Amino acid sequence: MKFEFSRRRMLGAVSGALAGLLSAPAARAAKATVQKVFASSGAPNGYDPYKHKWLMCFDVDKCIGCGLCVDACKTENHVPQASHYFRTWIERYIIKKPKPGSDRTRGEVLVDSPNGGRDGFPPTVVPREEILKSFFVPKLCNLCEASPCTQVCPVGATFDTPDGAVLVDPNYCIGCGFCIQACPYGCRFLNPETKTAEKCNLCYHRITRGLKPACVEICPTEARIFGDLKNPVVDDPIQAFIQKNKVFSLKPHLGTEPRVMYANLDKEVR
Amino acid sequence: MSLEITNAIVEAIPRFEGYVYPNESGTHPLWGFLIVLYPYITGLVAGAFIMASLVRVFRVKPLEPVYRLSLLTALAFLLCATLPLLFHLGHPERSFQIMITPHLTSPMAIFGFVYAWYLMAVLFLELWFDYREDFVEWSKTESGFRGILYRAFTLGVTDVSDKALALDHKLSWIISIVGIPSAFLLHGYVGFIFGSIKANPWWGNAIMPIIFILSAMVSGIALCVFNYMVLTWVRRRTLDLRCLDVMGMFLFYALVIDATVEALDWIHRAYSAEEGFHVMEYMAKERLFYTLSIGQVLVGTLIPLLLLGILQVLRKRIPDAVRKRMYFGSAVFILIGVLAMRWNVVMGGQFFSKSLRGVMSYKLEFAGVEGWFMGLILLSLPFIILTVLIKLFLAERLPTSGHVPHRMEGI
Amino acid sequence: MGNKLNPVGGGGWLPAGLASNQEADHMSRFKMPPQIFRLVLLTIGIVVSYLIARQLLTPASFRDFGFYRGAALEEVASRTPVYAGKKACDECHSEVLLKLAKGDHKTVSCETCHGVSQEHAGNPDITPVKLTGSHCIRCHEANPSRPAWFHQITVKNHYTGQKCTECHVPHQPNEVP
Repeated sequence: MKFEFSRRRMLGAVSGALAGLLSAPAARAAKATVQKVFASSGAPNGYDPYKHKWLMCFDVDKCIGCGLCVDACKTENHVPQASHYFRTWIERYIIKKPKPGSDRTRGEVLVDSPNGGRDGFPPTVVPREEILKSFFVPKLCNLCEASPCTQVCPVGATFDTPDGAVLVDPNYCIGCGFCIQACPYGCRFLNPETKTAEKCNLCYHRITRGLKPACVEICPTEARIFGDLKNPVVDDPIQAFIQKNKVFSLKPHLGTEPRVMYANLDKEVR
Repeated sequence: MSLEITNAIVEAIPRFEGYVYPNESGTHPLWGFLIVLYPYITGLVAGAFIMASLVRVFRVKPLEPVYRLSLLTALAFLLCATLPLLFHLGHPERSFQIMITPHLTSPMAIFGFVYAWYLMAVLFLELWFDYREDFVEWSKTESGFRGILYRAFTLGVTDVSDKALALDHKLSWIISIVGIPSAFLLHGYVGFIFGSIKANPWWGNAIMPIIFILSAMVSGIALCVFNYMVLTWVRRRTLDLRCLDVMGMFLFYALVIDATVEALDWIHRAYSAEEGFHVMEYMAKERLFYTLSIGQVLVGTLIPLLLLGILQVLRKRIPDAVRKRMYFGSAVFILIGVLAMRWNVVMGGQFFSKSLRGVMSYKLEFAGVEGWFMGLILLSLPFIILTVLIKLFLAERLPTSGHVPHRMEGI
Repeated sequence: MGNKLNPVGGGGWLPAGLASNQEADHMSRFKMPPQIFRLVLLTIGIVVSYLIARQLLTPASFRDFGFYRGAALEEVASRTPVYAGKKACDECHSEVLLKLAKGDHKTVSCETCHGVSQEHAGNPDITPVKLTGSHCIRCHEANPSRPAWFHQITVKNHYTGQKCTECHVPHQPNEVP
């Protein structure tokens, strides 16, 4: 009977230890809520991610396709040079006129993005008189409300930050590529050097220092509008943009609810 | 030489047609041959296990000679199932994080647990209960390394009284019953990894897990037919033709259901013709012609259906030697066809741009982690493991306990 | 269970939580089958070692903000910016910026034309990259895809052989030199 008792006690002790182990992360989380402000030496001091909500939007009518933003992004973020790694890129849409006598509203749609638009766009081979309309569309991470990429990350190495960016943790990413498959907008790639997923992070190291993202800084026509939705200032560019324009987002039917919005978007863009 | 020619031909085809997102325009698909092998191998595991449970749960007596072989096949392939995944990771050394901080909204994070459950709670347990009596017996008769191994496998339990064995039996039966949904879960879940990607209209499909399970059953049974025939041939034993006929029958039924559901999927896609159907249709016709029309449909489905169908109708009238060849042929064709099916799902999903405006073509290389050679090594690894397992647990000279359901007649 | 003496000492097992003494008395006669006992031990061993590993290997800042490493925010933020930004230029070149703000180039940032100037901002002795006329063309070359409101020229028809700056002042594009 004594032996039995000790064994029961042992089981009790084990189950107690299990409970302790299970609840430990919760206790840690509670402790962490106290210190939410950046403290390390390299990071911008005193930045509180809970006091901001960053967002970028686009005015398609303002983009001139110079591609300087693409170049700036590559320089700022040390994006691999090859022509299939981009955190942001520019697409050119050329919608041809319908054939004479046809009952169509528009003809063939040609889309291209030579080197992501980084070197600008060469004149098109389509003669001007055959073009119904043509325009440039800048693309980057759509900062989805319901991000499919962060949803599928098996280890929580990519996530939505409280201040509206979607980051990749390069020291925790296992490089499975699931997030790249899950992004409907083709915004992610696997960095060949670090072997981790990479994408636009709204130049997180800049915005936390009060600077604009490199592409926004460099854009000569203000086609890229960037701002803080929690900014109490009335004339915050992003708030003014959303108020002034009728906006649309990409692939809304997928339910990803992109926060990035476009003014003057054509239906051919996806 | 032939490799050079293939490469030359593939390179002659422009890599892209139409528009693809710049990040999609790399020279290699993100998920290569390794990820084709992953669902293939897991499918074989699930299928082989279901084959074994036909004996244990559904008491299909004629299949008893392949019961242990199917379980060992499932084990050998399951032990290799994680390897393709591990090798394709950018940081394999961080893979443990999937178990330590599993992000529960990710289908991939659950893999560690589904896998661990299936390996430890289902396969190991069922094998252990089934083999326990033999382990006790063999640990007495065998010496040296084998003796130590068998003694270790008894886990120190030497009770082989009738009562204990009856309990073993009962538990083993329960585990089998739990094992069937687990096998469905394991492979249905692999289908879900692809089916859950709504960004990709080729993958994002509610029926994907079901197709994966059905094709898994087909490929698993085909693998058991293959292994059984090869093993008896290697050991110069006579095949149990009754067993083979019944396996062939189940293979035929499974294939009929699988082919029907896959056809249904295609009909649904073509009829609803949702956004992007045209680019997928083009891709299927141009880029996947050999693997889809020839590999999956003709070799993997129509020919085996015909062969097995004939065998069902004319079983008695076909001479034994021809019958054996027909079964063997169907099994091999199905194994190739299901591999082609996995290729079509995994690569097909990456052959068209998510902009739905263009298609890509990739060149699969011979060398490299994602090359053919690595794939072949990974595909032969489970067979090597299976050989070792058979030497250890299906050795001819080791007597097996007589109790049902694992009389190993013919092997 | 089992008529033989239990060789592994699995007897006398009691499920935790059966507190009542009477029940314990009754249950003490229940012997757990040895194979089950071994498996239960094995399971407990596996689960406990998993939980210990989880405890040891989970990064310290995990779940600080959400299901991710909280320290990652700081790590990503601690990279040094490459572009200095218009504000940095304003510290020394405010008169140029004032002129710029009056003309059509008011939306253009300094580094759009002058290139990365972080080094120059830190040390004025380092001069930024010299500009060439191709910079103007990059934006102003006629292209049917460019919006109609934007000033465009067809370079081969537009005063060939002359430099842009002979007629245009980049900082005040609306003025004539």
